[in-house]
Amino acid sequence: MASEVNTDFLQDKKLDSIAADILRPVGITQGFVVWMGFLGISLMGCIYAYSIQWDKGLIVTGLRDYTSWGMYIANFVFFVATSLVGMLISSILGLIGFKWVKPIARIAEIIAVAFAAVAGLVIIIDMGHPERLGNVFLYGRIQSPIVWDVTVVITYLTISILLYFLPLIPDLAISKGRMNHTPKWLQNLYEVMSVKWQHTPEQYRLLMKAIRILLILIIPTAFAIHTVTSWLFAVTLRPGWDSTIFGPYFLTGAFVAGSAAVVIVMYFVRSNYKLDKYLTNHHFDMMGKLLVLVSIVYLYFNINEYLVPAYKMKTAEAIHLHDLFVGEYAVMFWSVQLLGLVLPIILLLFSFFRKPFSMLIISIVVLVAAWFKRFLIVVPTQDHPFLPKQYVPQAWMVYQPTVIETAITVGTLLLVLIIITILVKFFPVIPIWEMAEEQHELDHKSQK
Amino acid sequence: MKRYFILLIIVRFSLQLSAQEWVVAPADAALKSPFAFTDSTRKAGEAIYVANCKSCHGDPGKNNAIQLVPIPPDAASVKMQANTDGAMHYKLIQGRGPMPSFKNTLSSTDLWRVISFMRGYNPKYVQEVALPTIAGAAAQNVSIKLDWNKASGQVEASLTSLKGQVSQPVAGAEVKLFAKRYFGNLPVDEARKSDAAGKVAFNFPKDLPGDSIGNVQLIVKLTDEVAYGEASAEATLAVGVPTNRPALTAPRAMWGVLAKAPIWLIFAYLLAVLTAWGFIAYVISQIKAIYRAGSKEQL
Repeated sequence: MASEVNTDFLQDKKLDSIAADILRPVGITQGFVVWMGFLGISLMGCIYAYSIQWDKGLIVTGLRDYTSWGMYIANFVFFVATSLVGMLISSILGLIGFKWVKPIARIAEIIAVAFAAVAGLVIIIDMGHPERLGNVFLYGRIQSPIVWDVTVVITYLTISILLYFLPLIPDLAISKGRMNHTPKWLQNLYEVMSVKWQHTPEQYRLLMKAIRILLILIIPTAFAIHTVTSWLFAVTLRPGWDSTIFGPYFLTGAFVAGSAAVVIVMYFVRSNYKLDKYLTNHHFDMMGKLLVLVSIVYLYFNINEYLVPAYKMKTAEAIHLHDLFVGEYAVMFWSVQLLGLVLPIILLLFSFFRKPFSMLIISIVVLVAAWFKRFLIVVPTQDHPFLPKQYVPQAWMVYQPTVIETAITVGTLLLVLIIITILVKFFPVIPIWEMAEEQHELDHKSQK
Repeated sequence: MKRYFILLIIVRFSLQLSAQEWVVAPADAALKSPFAFTDSTRKAGEAIYVANCKSCHGDPGKNNAIQLVPIPPDAASVKMQANTDGAMHYKLIQGRGPMPSFKNTLSSTDLWRVISFMRGYNPKYVQEVALPTIAGAAAQNVSIKLDWNKASGQVEASLTSLKGQVSQPVAGAEVKLFAKRYFGNLPVDEARKSDAAGKVAFNFPKDLPGDSIGNVQLIVKLTDEVAYGEASAEATLAVGVPTNRPALTAPRAMWGVLAKAPIWLIFAYLLAVLTAWGFIAYVISQIKAIYRAGSKEQL
């Protein structure tokens, strides 16, 4: 983003048409009511499931002494991973100067905010006594990676919200007077949130400086959030977790999941809001190339993470790897690696598959595989503690998620969808002013 | 000879297979408590049960034992009560699998007290008390004195019993010595018999860690409780190696409490948090500046 903004675009007639296109779907529509109704009713069922857990405790889940981190923690790692894409798209690619990320950046930030916000909630759900959360802050020890994780999740969420909100301010001001088709309360909300934005050069200067600080600040924070999450595992001696590359391994995996999530939201925004003009085939093509790149890097880390211990086959590691390669988890493991990583890389190398619809299908597969990948990282290791499992009931020996646990996990996914839907539906999903500014510059150059 | 060994191995394995049932030798099963079970023995037994047994076996009659495999039987259950007093006593001493042995941690008398407590949950139970032995009648009120003989490096016990007003040495009684450790009592040397003068000398290891001045808490017990009653003595003697290690929780370390966190960690954590939140605060102040700039423009 340039720090100097030429405000001439405000007089350009093109601004009106761009604003009209992007603001048309904003507000409450029939489709929105039906979709939110569906999400809301489904969420009610999940909240009921949680009320059972609240009442009876974690005994209603499949978690026991040996496998004490199950679906919830796998889901938490998945959410944190997916949220990192906000940093990759707006910050890394944006600062390097890729212009094509401009219309996608806000979608990436929405995903970051939604997933990071619910990630914190997932941790609370994993607590048998959620009312004791305050003890983390009262008695937490800064020697514990759990405290670092709590700190960094809150910090990342705050920066992501600011990074969503700040570039939105000029759009909120532009939208004033163009929002007659929307409810009054939404217009009032825009008025408050636009913090007296008058499009003055001074305001643009302040805004661009603040955004630039955030774009730089979010890089170490995002690295920290997922590295610390990986340390929750890697600081233990257990086979499958006792690894020095867990930080970068998690980080690169995060970009794969996040990029896939962005493609999925991009597809539905484009087709539902008729925004083909702004989210073009070119954008899907570029996202496809990005997904190939991050997937290849992740594949490289996967090879390191599995091949090196598999070459040495230390006793404890061997039991773990045997479980993954040919044992109990083999089907899940190879499906995740082949369908969720190798096949997408091969397919996306061809421009034929980087079209919007095929990108959507591939991204859904990648995202689902990414969830199961987190499950494979979290659960199998706990099946084989160093001390033998003995004198316990059979049900404690193997981890089997229960219906209640699954329903609660589905509920957290619904919550993410609800947050994304609200942000996508009530606010401009593509930066109007940045689009108009770009268009103005393009026209200006061609005139010259 | 070879055949004999094979037979032995087969017998050994078939014993293991039948080990599902905890077999007690008839002689052990026939053992009886030297004293009658009364309310006071039951009360003493309850305290010992709560401290040592309840965590696994639960409250008698409530079937709330911990869910291990096999599930520890309830003290009031038919299965448990089917044991003879002697069998219970034997199982408490021996232990098996997850059931620990209480040989060195509880005295025989304490074990009988626990059995007395458990029998309180069996209305059909009728106790048979062991017949008092002649020795038991002869030597009651035994007292033991412990001393440290620095020259010989031995711990010496002298046993006396009171007969009327006269104190007499107890000869030929078997005595065991223990050193109190964090978890249970450590047997020291072998069980030894007192000589004609009622003296016993135990060889004491030269490298047993004591407290900061080398003190070790010693326990000496007479093994034949039927004959002599529950006679034991405790003494704290400077027989160990002085050990003055600071507690592991004393210095600043990763495993310490928050107040004992390493300085570098506190510094690094605060630096990172303050830097990030300093910038966040600055950005929020910029939003205020934008608001002020807008308000001015409106005027």
